[in-house]
Amino acid sequence: MGRHVGIVGLGQTHHSRRRTDVSQAGLVREAVDRALADAKLAMEDIDSVVVATGPVLFAAVNQPEKWVCDAIGASQKPLVRITSGGGTGLAGALAGYYQIAGGFAERVLVVAYDKLSEGALQYSISTLYDPFWGREFAVGIMGFSAAYWRARMDVLGHTEEAAAMVAVKNRKNAMRNPHAHVKKEVTVEEVLASKPLAWPIKLLDVPPISDGAAAIVLSSEKAAAKSTDRPAWIRGMGYFCEADNAPSRSMVVSEPLAIAARRIYRAAGITNPRRQFDVVEVQEPYTCFELSYYESLGLCAPGEAAALIKSGATQFDGDIPVNPSGGCAGANPIGAAGLIRVIEAASQVMGKADQMQIPGAKLALAQSGGGWANLRGLAVLAA
Amino acid sequence: MTPSKVAVISSAQTELRSAWSEAQHIDLISSVVAGVFKGTGLDLDDVDFIIDSGSDVLDGRSISNCGFLGAMGAHHKEESRVEEDGLWAALYGATKIAAGGADIGLIIAYSKPSESDFNAFYATQCEPFYQRPVGFDHRAASGMQAQRYLAKHKLAPKDLAGLAVKRWSDASRYAKVQIPSVPSEMDVLASVNVARPLTKLMMSRPVDGAVAVLLVSEEIARRINRTPVWITGLGASADRHSFAARSAGALEACEKAAKTAYARAGWKRPEASLAELGASSAVGELMVMEALGLAKPGHGIDLLKSEGGTVVNRSGGSLPADPIMATGLVRLAEASRQLLYPDTYDLRNPSSAIVHGWGGVGMQTHCVVTLEA
Amino acid sequence: MLPIPSAHPIDMPAFKSVLSMPYTLTPGKAVGSFLAEIGRRRIVGSKFKKSGKVVVPAQDFCPFSGDSEFELIEAPTTGALTAFTETDAGMIGLIRIDGSDVDFPHRLVGAAYGDLSVGMRVEAVWAPDVEKSILGIEGFRPAPNAPVGKIRSLEAPAAPIEVVPYTLDLHYEHAFGPYYGRLFDEIKTNRRIMGVRAPDGDGAFLPPREICDITHKPTGTWVEVKQTGTVRAMSVIYLEFKGQKQPPPYIYAEIMLDGATTRLIHTVAGLDMKRAKELVKPGTRVRAVWRDKRTGSLDDISHFEIIDDKAG
Repeated sequence: MGRHVGIVGLGQTHHSRRRTDVSQAGLVREAVDRALADAKLAMEDIDSVVVATGPVLFAAVNQPEKWVCDAIGASQKPLVRITSGGGTGLAGALAGYYQIAGGFAERVLVVAYDKLSEGALQYSISTLYDPFWGREFAVGIMGFSAAYWRARMDVLGHTEEAAAMVAVKNRKNAMRNPHAHVKKEVTVEEVLASKPLAWPIKLLDVPPISDGAAAIVLSSEKAAAKSTDRPAWIRGMGYFCEADNAPSRSMVVSEPLAIAARRIYRAAGITNPRRQFDVVEVQEPYTCFELSYYESLGLCAPGEAAALIKSGATQFDGDIPVNPSGGCAGANPIGAAGLIRVIEAASQVMGKADQMQIPGAKLALAQSGGGWANLRGLAVLAA
Repeated sequence: MTPSKVAVISSAQTELRSAWSEAQHIDLISSVVAGVFKGTGLDLDDVDFIIDSGSDVLDGRSISNCGFLGAMGAHHKEESRVEEDGLWAALYGATKIAAGGADIGLIIAYSKPSESDFNAFYATQCEPFYQRPVGFDHRAASGMQAQRYLAKHKLAPKDLAGLAVKRWSDASRYAKVQIPSVPSEMDVLASVNVARPLTKLMMSRPVDGAVAVLLVSEEIARRINRTPVWITGLGASADRHSFAARSAGALEACEKAAKTAYARAGWKRPEASLAELGASSAVGELMVMEALGLAKPGHGIDLLKSEGGTVVNRSGGSLPADPIMATGLVRLAEASRQLLYPDTYDLRNPSSAIVHGWGGVGMQTHCVVTLEA
Repeated sequence: MLPIPSAHPIDMPAFKSVLSMPYTLTPGKAVGSFLAEIGRRRIVGSKFKKSGKVVVPAQDFCPFSGDSEFELIEAPTTGALTAFTETDAGMIGLIRIDGSDVDFPHRLVGAAYGDLSVGMRVEAVWAPDVEKSILGIEGFRPAPNAPVGKIRSLEAPAAPIEVVPYTLDLHYEHAFGPYYGRLFDEIKTNRRIMGVRAPDGDGAFLPPREICDITHKPTGTWVEVKQTGTVRAMSVIYLEFKGQKQPPPYIYAEIMLDGATTRLIHTVAGLDMKRAKELVKPGTRVRAVWRDKRTGSLDDISHFEIIDDKAG
């Protein structure tokens, strides 16, 4: 790779079910101010801005980067929007990473957001479906996510109980997270007994709907020192896909995520992810996905995810903690969620995760994804 | 470590038509993806990543890239969408290759505005509380830009008509654009009012089409038996969303983007053999020429008459054919083809080009790329 | 040039689709205050602390500097026209409210286009009975003798509006193209489900398409797939949401029809929904049940019913 790139500033808004105190642009501004302050920089120090949001139908503003431009003072800078469904936050960070690695910029501000309280979420995301082919049966992303989970259940043993353990773990971890707006512990029994929405997905398998934004400052090695002596260095990052209705597409394993893991691990020198990573942050739109990610990310073999969650290894104090921040269970502003995972992973290796800190964390993995469960990315971050 | 060089090695484009009513998005996309490898010795298996440009609002589906991945040849590859006019997608691809992160990138851009309400595409970009309810949109912004420009530089709508005729005529001669008939100046002036003083034929004409461009690293460019065109400068800049808060009569962001690109290319002046640039209207095009430094303020129109110097929009530019989300990438493809096959375009030994892309209401964002043969 | 297969003429009219999305938008403090004051016929602006810039109508962030600290001010209802045009939405201009540092885009009323000139004095025309919207100002009309107004501090400001209802209506006419054209024509006319052969191998792609999503090779000849198939994935939908086409509970199913290598999305019905999760699972065999009504869409299939053919 051309040049080393580090994350030198992190910022998140106060997330909540509905922020009536700020507009979409104001929400973005809040995250940007915090990331810049964290990086000890001002907007004048930023060479380029990447805005990442979920689909525009979430919030009624087409090409919203052009609107939020004024609120963040990005005028007269390169400004671009990266869209990649729910994983767009990570995809945006990836674009910023290459702007620096490729010599286009020294410092890039990446901001991701969604203000989901403003639209009709399941209706708008149902337009993901081909208007001719299946849209009349669409149930947002929940319908197919539940269906794919059902398919994995028989083959891989991703049981309702195993998924419920993910809910219990993430909700418990969210208690430590100052940015989480859902702070309520649950039990396996409560998850299993919660109202089915798209069975096997039940109410407590589902993260909240949130308003929120997140921002990071990426920096070249040369420019990083002004912000911090301990950046989170990006050792590898990628975002892969698969055609949504390709013949032989597997609903059982996430092939694009497995491909991403193979490629990025090789670049980053990861040969044993379970042993080498100190901490993992995954974007779990529903609990069932976290089980699937364990397998695609190589934290366990296919079919062993249920055993892995049951073993306690992915708990806060386990040998491979997954989502010590609580993941999406604590707050889920979809377009920002991927970048929040990057932020939580970065804060671990930067040693500033406070009460969420995994002691001695030096190497972290952040995962993100979206679309028809067919866009998948990850980032390897190192102290 | 110096970033590595990036070359444009090939491009493919559908005809640009007012409506491709017998084809779907995927048909347009897959045909340019199939075509872009011709003569390169490369195929889809060699492609490391895909960056694409398209719009959910124009396509009528959320995360529309998601539904078109197969047509794009993106299955199991890296893919991201950059939502602008395709030139920013190329910029992304170029930074990725320059970083050494990949060798071969496929850049794809497409639009089918015939399937949707094209005006809603821009109206929905406007802020929803003040601008949208009063009917402020890209037409209003263009009209007011035109009013101010014409008054300041003592030009008349007839001058704009002359520019439009020249562009439509060049498009019919040199570009893959479906042109029913080249309008006369009278036709342009008499066409329906869009935003006084601008008539329909003084505005860029939305068309359907797709384009693909292959970008490669220096190493690949040297290995394959095909003349490369090098990307030597990149610049991008956004102006304020508030149209009223922008500099009246100038495209500040376009000047900034051009300045950055020229500096990166090591150019002291914009002395390119040719330029391919886009704009929302005839006045917008004059303002772009001036912001790029090709003419002094108010003198963009003189470039129509001048012999020698930079040849502007031999393809006709975006007035006769504006495939919205692909216009900038079409400009890049056109400029590359003109550098490689000058005879086809009646050009003499061109060695360098300026490529310009834009987006937004009143041309809020700009991207400039310099090419050298 | 684009290869269009000539084997089947396409005479399907475009497929019409309307996305009508409801929203509840948050304007933020400054815009919310502007909207709240419209009913009281006051025009609110922001005066930014660092730059001293006055921005009318009010904004949370200075469009020039990004400055976020401001005080709300009451702007006069008069100003000067700095630019104008006419579109099919009417006459629109930029109005520099007296004392503001930026123009205000709004409608122009009470004059013909030819009567307008840059620099002309104008004043706001209030719309009767419009509140909480910028359209509480109907527009600005020529007012040659209007005195130059002054910015004042905003006395007793109303609480900002926090939520503005909004609807986005987007209309589409999607082209069927040669592949969907034949697919849905066959469904409508012949009650046949047609795919195209994979470039290499036996299975058919559904929906049919010109190229293989994986290999990008051209696909083969048309082939009819069976109307029976196997459920590959399913979910029991209890969730209610805006835009839903049928009342829950129902089954969302991804079905591989016999002869196809890709999945079709539909619903499995005609069963005891209380036992849905045990009756329908990956591997369950199903058959299409057609409606009498012919629309040429997947909805011509009412649902899939469970069959017991042991074909597996």
